[in-house]
Amino acid sequence: MKHLFKPQMFKGLLALLILLLIIKLLWFVVEVVWLPSTGVEHAEEKGGKALYYRVKLTPNEAPAPTKPTSTRPTKPQGSIKDIELLAIYNASDITVITVSYKNKTKVLSKGDEINGFVLEGAGSNFATFSKNAKTYQISLLKSKKGDNSVSTTKSTASGTPSETRSSSSKVEGDIVDAGDHRLVDKSLVEHYAKNMEEITKNIGIAEQKEGKDLKGFRVTFVRKNSHFSKLGLRRGDVIKSINGQEITSYNAAMDVYKNINAMDSLSLTITRGKEEMELEYEIN
Amino acid sequence: MQMVKKIFITLFIAWFALLVFMPKQALYYKLEEELAKNEIKINEKAIEEGVFSLTLKQASVYVKGIKIATIEELTLFTLLFYTKVELDSLLLDDSLKAMAPQQTDKAVLSHSMLSPLEASVNAEGSFGVIEGSIDLKERNLHINFSETKEIETIRSLLKKDEKGWYYETSF
Repeated sequence: MKHLFKPQMFKGLLALLILLLIIKLLWFVVEVVWLPSTGVEHAEEKGGKALYYRVKLTPNEAPAPTKPTSTRPTKPQGSIKDIELLAIYNASDITVITVSYKNKTKVLSKGDEINGFVLEGAGSNFATFSKNAKTYQISLLKSKKGDNSVSTTKSTASGTPSETRSSSSKVEGDIVDAGDHRLVDKSLVEHYAKNMEEITKNIGIAEQKEGKDLKGFRVTFVRKNSHFSKLGLRRGDVIKSINGQEITSYNAAMDVYKNINAMDSLSLTITRGKEEMELEYEIN
Repeated sequence: MQMVKKIFITLFIAWFALLVFMPKQALYYKLEEELAKNEIKINEKAIEEGVFSLTLKQASVYVKGIKIATIEELTLFTLLFYTKVELDSLLLDDSLKAMAPQQTDKAVLSHSMLSPLEASVNAEGSFGVIEGSIDLKERNLHINFSETKEIETIRSLLKKDEKGWYYETSF
């Protein structure tokens, strides 16, 4: 009788099938025992963000304005126009400005009054006054080239001149302490939003964890005489929330960074030691 | 001679079967698990399994919850003795464009058993063309820019020698 298949060929084929079966079985065991059946996906935060409003509850203060622009100190109102800012001397411990009022030159320091307007602070090219719970800002007269730079250079004499000179020449605008809050120049915000590297040079931020959970971001250093030193943040402060939004993830922090240009006010909740504090900023 | 031939055929079939039957998607999920331990997550629209490869379509890469980049197509290819990761059209997130070049048209990371302690990197994009190598023993990365375009954002990280710009770091 003649065989249809050679027994040797049949044996080889069988051995091949067994080999394939063993490999398939091997992978099957690996898959069942060690490998996950689903992947790890990043869940987008879809929860609505809490609306943020800055409400002043201090007595004897004007009620919340109907138009948000009315509280902004950008538009000088009333007789503030009579005051002309001639020069600024702005050091870390003292602010002195020279103004011209009714053709008379007067030197004012922080807290001094002129025509009912109280000097609150000054930036590199502007001064801030307050009157009847409203804030006003006047810009430096650009009469002579170099006037401004002279006053700025003077102000840095106690610190590191080269550092501050470079930052003030590159970046326009400043941060002014206006009592309960600080006024931050928008151009400054825009500059740092574009140059993230400059942020890391001036302020150190590290994550603050409790166990595995992120509880905020700790300030590890603040460069002296930098814009960030004027924000009121100190080494060791822990930033817990920004505009009421808890900063418990990098994504939340990134959200603030992405939208910073559209913000006109900013509120940081920080813990300093055991004390919880709120730092308020007005961006204009 | 016949015996040697048989052994080679068996080995070849075993190698081929290992690759074909490899549970590529499940192995990728395992890789995702390991990456997640380092707070790196990849969200992909679709996964396609090939005979020797696995392709991810429209993958978004998140690091510590922040979206870093979107990759149009990411292919993981292996022959066991040669492995290659190919990225097509990588677009860095808008929020990071101030820190690094935004567009990478193509990037290839490959590793061969012929030089097991070295992996090579090639890429081209808005920054120009780069060629580099990763020394797995010394744990350092060296990238040469053979052509430079928009490197302003990363210029401070680069060094220059007679061949041109290069980037070096250790990990």
